Amino acid sequence: MRLSTHVAVLCAALLLGQQAVAAELPQRWVSAGGGLSEWVSALGGEAKLVGVDTTSQHPASLKALPSIGYQRSLSAEGILSLRPDILIGTEEMGPPPVLSQVRAARVQVELFSAQPDLSTLEKSVTRLGQLLGAEPQAAQLLHGYQQQLDAQKARVADAQTRQKSPGVLLLLGHAGGKPLVAGKDTAADWMLRQAGAVNLATHSGYKPFSAESLASLDPEVLVFADRALTGEAAKAALFKENPILAASRAAKAGRVLELDPTLLVGGLGPRVPAALKTLSDGFYPATSGQ
Amino acid sequence: MTTLVKPRALFVGLTLLCLLAIWLSLALGPVSLPLFDTLRAALRLLGMPLAPDGLEQAELILGQIRLPRTLLGLAVGGVLALSGVAMQGLFRNPLADPGLVGVSSGAALGAAVAIVGGSFFGGLPEWFAPYLLSVCAFLGGLGVTALVYRLGRRNGQTNVATMLLAGIALTALAGSAVGLFTYLADDATLRTLTFWNLGSLNGASYARLWPLLIISAAVALWLPRRAKALNALLLGESEAGHLGIDVERLKRELVFCTALGVGAAVAAAGMIGFVGLVVPHLVRLLAGPDHKVLLPASLLAGASLLLLADLVARLALAPAELPIGIVTAFIGAPFFLYLLLRGRA
Repeated sequence: MRLSTHVAVLCAALLLGQQAVAAELPQRWVSAGGGLSEWVSALGGEAKLVGVDTTSQHPASLKALPSIGYQRSLSAEGILSLRPDILIGTEEMGPPPVLSQVRAARVQVELFSAQPDLSTLEKSVTRLGQLLGAEPQAAQLLHGYQQQLDAQKARVADAQTRQKSPGVLLLLGHAGGKPLVAGKDTAADWMLRQAGAVNLATHSGYKPFSAESLASLDPEVLVFADRALTGEAAKAALFKENPILAASRAAKAGRVLELDPTLLVGGLGPRVPAALKTLSDGFYPATSGQ
Repeated sequence: MTTLVKPRALFVGLTLLCLLAIWLSLALGPVSLPLFDTLRAALRLLGMPLAPDGLEQAELILGQIRLPRTLLGLAVGGVLALSGVAMQGLFRNPLADPGLVGVSSGAALGAAVAIVGGSFFGGLPEWFAPYLLSVCAFLGGLGVTALVYRLGRRNGQTNVATMLLAGIALTALAGSAVGLFTYLADDATLRTLTFWNLGSLNGASYARLWPLLIISAAVALWLPRRAKALNALLLGESEAGHLGIDVERLKRELVFCTALGVGAAVAAAGMIGFVGLVVPHLVRLLAGPDHKVLLPASLLAGASLLLLADLVARLALAPAELPIGIVTAFIGAPFFLYLLLRGRA
């Protein structure tokens, strides 16, 4: 009898304790960053999300949530109408007066960096894990992520001993028309380099190119990221709108790769390692599948 | 000329419309507050000693979000419409809008400099950084307008036709400079620039509101005093001169008021098209061209239209919101067409 009372008290205490911790953690989340929403979902927190911005496209189920608009033009009252406990976003989130209005309504506002580097990512995912009460999952995800990137690095280094790094252009387009070429200081450039390619474009940011300069760079591999179409339809549209590309070395050799444009915004997301593997397999066909 | 509405009826109607728009703007939003709470919170904000039980949320939303936003809408809508009347009077052309003297394009250029070039202004004091955009837009608008005015002057006379053409030329020039900044911008700044060009009353705060309120109150008090002179100007410049109007001074005042008012409005809320061009027209179609009626009526109509448009902007896609420039044109243009066609039939 006494023992069972002890056990009961202990159980109750444990339960209460856990509830107390759970009550302190934010339960209703609004995310204003595509990459962050993805990590929240990957950490098992999707059910806590009550609203996302327009850059949150993955996983696809997020699109069913109320949209708070574009991350740089948020509306304070719109966000408050979702009765959130916490608003997360990158340093791009704004405008600043709206953020202070949200803070004034006693909603926790957490800013994360969208820098594409591992130490930043580690900090962000760890913090998200704490806020979600999912620290072990966060550590596990990060460990796996690190391993995948290490494996990627090794794979590229190995492939480069057997084959020269290909010169690549990444085209960001909308149904093929007037594509923008990804230059330095872009997430696209980072991904190309991680996948072992040489970005032939040396300008900064995403800029339109003339057909002639595209032809003169003559890339070995073309990567396209289309916001409107996917797969063969996107490829066909790209070549139809830009006949000069159809005559390029890459097109003739059939070395045209596709990249999901949502990977290029909002920092490093959970899908990046897989995308890098697909890219490097395309860049180094001889060593693919290892 | 017969008018559709008697001036007194028009003023009563517009005042009621404006009051209704103010109330709706305070009472409606994505967060649904019980009407009773809104009333009590409003009374508390007015200084009534009511018990604050359970009103924190209502008071915050009313006092910190909806009230500054409503004041911003009133000031921006009113001052844009008034400036429209001033420009149409100055150029004696119903197609004139405040953009004609370069204030809008100048402000857009200033904004582009601030948004795209913001990072080059390293070492700005922290308290100033949030206001950089507004200050640059204001100065840009004022600067280009001053240049247009200067180009229109010869031998102490302001030639309105030369000023008009100079305005067109400088607008084109500023447009190409904005284009250059657009080209230099990266993805994120590009979107900021695009949204700025569509205008928004979102994120209104008192710190940004005061300069605009003071300027628009000054413009709203000053311009109606010049109604008689504007009426005389309708007859032609020399005729107005013969009637004892100092035409040069009038022109200077009109340009100055427009530059100041529109510059401040654009700096606070971004580009909001349509209001300055069409609100004076609406009022003219209803009540005729007498500036004694036109000026105050446009002030009321512009303020009401902008508040109602903002209501649509924040409710249509809640919890997200539309840029208000889309809404003003979307509501106003069909209504304007309707009045136009009805007047012709």
